Amino acid sequence: MQTAIQVLTAFLGSLGFGLIFHLRNRHLVAAALGGMFIWIIYLIAVSAIDGIFFPTLIASAFSALYAEIMARVQKAPATLYLITAVVPLIPGGSLYHTMSCAVRGEWEQFSTYGMDTIQYALGIAIGMSLVWAVYDMADRILHRNHSEQK
Amino acid sequence: MDTQNKILHELLDLGEAMLINGAEVKRVEDTLNRMGVAYGASRMNVFVITSSVVVTMTLADGRELTQTRRIAKPGGTDFRKLEELNALSRRCCMLPLPPEELQREIHRLTGARTSRVKFYGGSILAAGSFSVFFGGGLTDGIAAALFAVLVCVLQEHMSPYCTNTVIFNFLCALLTGLAICTAANLLGMVQIVVHIDKVIIGDIMLLIPGIAMTNAVRDVLLGDTISGVMRLTETLLWAVSLACGFMSAIWLIGG
Repeated sequence: MQTAIQVLTAFLGSLGFGLIFHLRNRHLVAAALGGMFIWIIYLIAVSAIDGIFFPTLIASAFSALYAEIMARVQKAPATLYLITAVVPLIPGGSLYHTMSCAVRGEWEQFSTYGMDTIQYALGIAIGMSLVWAVYDMADRILHRNHSEQK
Repeated sequence: MDTQNKILHELLDLGEAMLINGAEVKRVEDTLNRMGVAYGASRMNVFVITSSVVVTMTLADGRELTQTRRIAKPGGTDFRKLEELNALSRRCCMLPLPPEELQREIHRLTGARTSRVKFYGGSILAAGSFSVFFGGGLTDGIAAALFAVLVCVLQEHMSPYCTNTVIFNFLCALLTGLAICTAANLLGMVQIVVHIDKVIIGDIMLLIPGIAMTNAVRDVLLGDTISGVMRLTETLLWAVSLACGFMSAIWLIGG
């Protein structure tokens, strides 16, 4: 039940951010579905792998992949889809707990939550960068082959 | 201004508009490179960071033109404008428009009014959803959605007078936090339980520079180190000021 609620709210939350970023209607639902899809991947990854960093990395890599595919299909910049889909991964909860521990002076808890927040942030950034690095290399290799054929 | 200078000026206008509406540094550099070549440059030297654009354009006859542009402040992300500007640049690379026409097009696209209904509706939906997403109940979600309106009003009416983002985030978080704590205490008197932490988490999602932070780390990893480190420093400061604001509110009223 909790899972179903999370998946639904991930969709609605991404939809909300799509609206805030003035996404055009024809991209809105597909981008929000991306958010939902990425959260499902995160949940699957988290049940298979311990920790926060690697599941976040995997989910983030999928969001970059999804964004690149949708950008080709819809002929729009990939950022539109990427930013909207990645929103559920943003560690709002652990950031809040980090600072509330700081205010209460619970420094052990503070460092635990702080590390979580950093792992989320790094996981998101590294996941998508990996996809781009591979994508960029593949593009160059394909492009070179293409120009050699000429 | 001769024609070549005018063209370069318009290219900078385009780059600036794209940056302000949420384009990545790499995209702006790529676009300006391609546009310059389309307008007849034999070589383009483009350097973009989030706060500045520098372009030197080498013309076919060997003359070199340089213009720089200071980007004052990243505006709100507007993907509709970004998409249209991007499409305009593609069109221009295929068939360069005369500079006057390019200028008119850029002004038309950036001057379009944005829908407030979408902004408010999106904020309400996002805050409510993320409050529940992070473990809140239905009442928490509704409360977060209601206070999202306050966050929107502050963003719309306070940010023009408070251009320093650190101070703005602090004040915005403080005021929202005070309102949430007061409301939660009042509702507590009539036996309606609202979890302050869940409501605040929902509304934090609207203010948190998570996307800017992600972009910053990404820029560093992809080699745009200067803009990445610059933005990362900014976003860390923003996040801390946000945290201080909410925590001061809780400390003042008691959660």
